[in-house]
Amino acid sequence: MAALRSTSARILGASSRPATLRLAAAPAARGFAQLADGATESQKASGDPANMKTFQIYRWNPDTPTEKPRMQSYTLDLKKTGPMVLDALIRIKNELDPTLTFRRSCREGICGSCAMNINGTNTLACLCRIPAEDNAEMKIYPLPHTYVVKDLVPDLTLFYKQYKSIKPYLQRDTPSPDGKEYRQSKADRKKLDGLYECILCACCSTSCPSYWWNSEEYLGPAILLQSYRWLADSRDERKAERKAALDNSMSLYRCHTILNCTRTCPKGLNPGLAIAEIKKEMAFSG
Amino acid sequence: MASIARSSLLRQSAFAAKSLRQQSVLQNAVRTSAFHTTSRRNILPPPPQRVEGTVNDAVPVPPPSPSHGSYHWTFERLMSAGLVPLTIAPFAAGSLNPTLDAVLCAALLIHSHLGFQSVIIDYIPKKRMPNARKFFMWGLNAATAIVGLALYEFETTDVGLTETIKRVWKA
Amino acid sequence: MRLSGLQKEVLSLYRQCLRESRKKPQATRPHFESYARNEFQKYIGIDRKDFAAVEFLLRKGRRQLELYSNPGIKDIK
Repeated sequence: MAALRSTSARILGASSRPATLRLAAAPAARGFAQLADGATESQKASGDPANMKTFQIYRWNPDTPTEKPRMQSYTLDLKKTGPMVLDALIRIKNELDPTLTFRRSCREGICGSCAMNINGTNTLACLCRIPAEDNAEMKIYPLPHTYVVKDLVPDLTLFYKQYKSIKPYLQRDTPSPDGKEYRQSKADRKKLDGLYECILCACCSTSCPSYWWNSEEYLGPAILLQSYRWLADSRDERKAERKAALDNSMSLYRCHTILNCTRTCPKGLNPGLAIAEIKKEMAFSG
Repeated sequence: MASIARSSLLRQSAFAAKSLRQQSVLQNAVRTSAFHTTSRRNILPPPPQRVEGTVNDAVPVPPPSPSHGSYHWTFERLMSAGLVPLTIAPFAAGSLNPTLDAVLCAALLIHSHLGFQSVIIDYIPKKRMPNARKFFMWGLNAATAIVGLALYEFETTDVGLTETIKRVWKA
Repeated sequence: MRLSGLQKEVLSLYRQCLRESRKKPQATRPHFESYARNEFQKYIGIDRKDFAAVEFLLRKGRRQLELYSNPGIKDIK
């Protein structure tokens, strides 16, 4: 402690010193200390000035439920970090604070695990670039209006339960004519474009004010988009049942075309349009 | 000290065993910069969300009722679409027709009733606040009845809606 | 003493826990009961006005109960 305090003045200039100090002090941290050391040396060699950026991250620990959630800030050098927010989060977890918790898997926007609220917009951390031009702080929250499991991990139980309720699978009574597979014309397949790409990241649903108010009964844009995906499928034979399941005051008609869903979708899909299509079909087919 | 060596302190806190004191310094600093945007106590906190059944059960599907679903929606849209010609017609035609005036009044009344109804359905969930929901729905019905009565009186004993707007416009 | 809605919910969760542990085999039943008791005891000091914490613990408790009430689970700890 005393040794650290005496070097604290030098920390500002070169951060490689305390790293080596710690290497001697704590053998457990050796792997990390060497990594940080190597990184600073390579930076020194290239002679680039550090590009520091502060991330403010929502922290809440379920083990101490009486403590209020808080924002913790971490400062990273963008020169040594990948371009996306997820890279920064992984680096914070690896190097600064291993207690930081978030979901991530594919790091390329296909799994939908890392959905979170970054600078006020629901998006996937792996598809969200860190704006390099300005050095304003980035604020990272979990998805809004969800129960938080820990830090940036939201509880999506209800979301998945609702997904299950729309029966997201092919329902048919007649076997295919050739006994092999259910065929579809190119035009029919085309109807599913813009629907099948949805990865159920819950960004749209949790950005929808209607869903905030009535999450128990209103299905939300993501689930309704999936619902339309099966309504639009030429191979499905239970369209009447699917429509009947939506034909009540709450499930579908709490959508007031606020269109936050379309604006926020990190995959560039249009849940608002899909919901409008369902409404149109319900209105004109009786 | 916390402000000078903050980043290295953060790094330290996770690994070094003897940094207990530093950690407490850090936590205090962090706690003061907690939430600046949200108030400590909500004015009207929403009741907790209730999830029915186990994790693996699907959410129950409500029974189909087109009169609250698709028919209701279609009627709502027809009403609002119909209001456009109804508002323009008397001024475009230049003549005042009491029947048209009455139709306009009725359409306005139904349109606003439906609008308020969906506001109540949105903001007062039946599951969480059944009594408040009932109260507001009956309140809305009463309000609509009173306004309907008032409009009827206005149409029959006074000059009528369109004529009033015309006079106010010119005044 | 009149209990608030939240307090009633906590008590009902505890009752449910005991009821579920009655479905477990005779030999391990005390384990389940003491486990439930311990879990509640752990947070006995929480302020009853701290709604966020109590609601979180209720949600967590319900989830745990759901998990442990699986008939496949015969013993705990």
